[in-house]
Amino acid sequence: MRPDTWPMFADPAIWGFFFEGLRETIYLAVVSIALSFVVGLLFALGRLSRKRWIRWPSIFYIEGVRALPVLLLIVYFDIKGSALFRPFFALLGLDFDLPRFWAGVLGLSMYTSAVLAEIIRAGIVSLPRGQSEAARALGLSHAQTMRSVILPQALRLMVPAMMGQLTTVIKDTSLVGTIGVFELLKQGGTIYKLFFNPFEVLLIVATIYFVICFALSQASRRLEVGRAPRETRVKIRDIELRDQAA
Amino acid sequence: MPGGIIFEFPELFLTGLWLTIQISVLGLIGAIVIGTLVALARVSPLVPLRWIGGAYVEFFRNTPLIVQLFFWFLGLGALGFRFSTDTFESIFRAAATGMALYHGAYVAEVVRGGLLGVDRGQVEAARSLGLSYLQMVRYVQLPQTVRSVIPPLGNIGIALVKNTSLASTIGVAELLYAAEIVESRTFRAEEAFIAATMLFLLLTIPLGIIVNELERRLLVAR
Repeated sequence: MRPDTWPMFADPAIWGFFFEGLRETIYLAVVSIALSFVVGLLFALGRLSRKRWIRWPSIFYIEGVRALPVLLLIVYFDIKGSALFRPFFALLGLDFDLPRFWAGVLGLSMYTSAVLAEIIRAGIVSLPRGQSEAARALGLSHAQTMRSVILPQALRLMVPAMMGQLTTVIKDTSLVGTIGVFELLKQGGTIYKLFFNPFEVLLIVATIYFVICFALSQASRRLEVGRAPRETRVKIRDIELRDQAA
Repeated sequence: MPGGIIFEFPELFLTGLWLTIQISVLGLIGAIVIGTLVALARVSPLVPLRWIGGAYVEFFRNTPLIVQLFFWFLGLGALGFRFSTDTFESIFRAAATGMALYHGAYVAEVVRGGLLGVDRGQVEAARSLGLSYLQMVRYVQLPQTVRSVIPPLGNIGIALVKNTSLASTIGVAELLYAAEIVESRTFRAEEAFIAATMLFLLLTIPLGIIVNELERRLLVAR
């Protein structure tokens, strides 16, 4: 072992560095999960729609995105993101350059929205048919039934699964470092490139991720929000296994 | 034609595809071996073994794969440990090892579920018939587990194929890396990424169909 590599961590400035990275990581995760919840909800409803022109594109989006690596999406938005949005800004007579942070958010959200759509759909499908039939018989419209009867119950049931996605997103934010956003891992990279101590720095970075993700996953296990039927839990587990990315 | 760029740079894309397949297969085999051992440790009657198994699963599942890959390649490299004297081999082996260790934790959870699913009465019956613990595991528990873990293992396999893209970050020239090289040579980002996307879909979509079919059949037969 090289004995001179640990004392440097007594310097608070180093921890300030890690903390900056952690803050960026948390911003990325929170913005991405919020965005992907909204988009995911829309696609879940789209996939359950009776209108074919809504259902088919939704299936295409969900299945297509789930089959791709998140890193591919992130790198794609980094390289192509500005060009994608430029036409809209050109209409306003503005030039546009997509900041890397947002390229990362777009890549993460696109992927997570497809996964969340599947989770939300599994929650909706798990409710007994009688619920929506009763609501319709009472004279509620389809939209009203969804909004005030089905979704509140389905989303409640899916809270643990969605918390699970939050830990996945936190882990996935580490990929955004590859396109040059200074999140936790990239910030660690700056340190070990300077001090040549990747072993120590990566151990610390891994520990920080572990503490956050472990705490979250324990919390989601303790939540008491009712229990989804067995079949649904198996379905959710399969979604999580297939789509837990990095 | 979308993906036509593959034929302009066949050596990059096809080597990339081949490396992706190699890492996926090696990673999956390693993950199954590691996962089964960890799962056996987690259900064993020895408390320290159970504790180690649990710690393994929690630690590997709750840290990002990319951090683990960096650790195996850069972190151990800084201590003077290399997987091979050849740089290319070294990166490749680090990537395959990282994949196996990370996905092994997920396999362990699945196999543990399968082992615990075997009726307790059978375990007790086997033991009272005079089978040793290991014989009981080998002849009673594991064979019955195989069936129930196949669909979830398939799902882990799909995740693994997608996750091989992370090996590009430590320098394995797999599919995503190939696309990035082509992009930097030609500035045709659109085409290069569509090509990589198509090749990934070529792997993941058939796998997804096979896994869904297996799931359906095993469900019917159960």
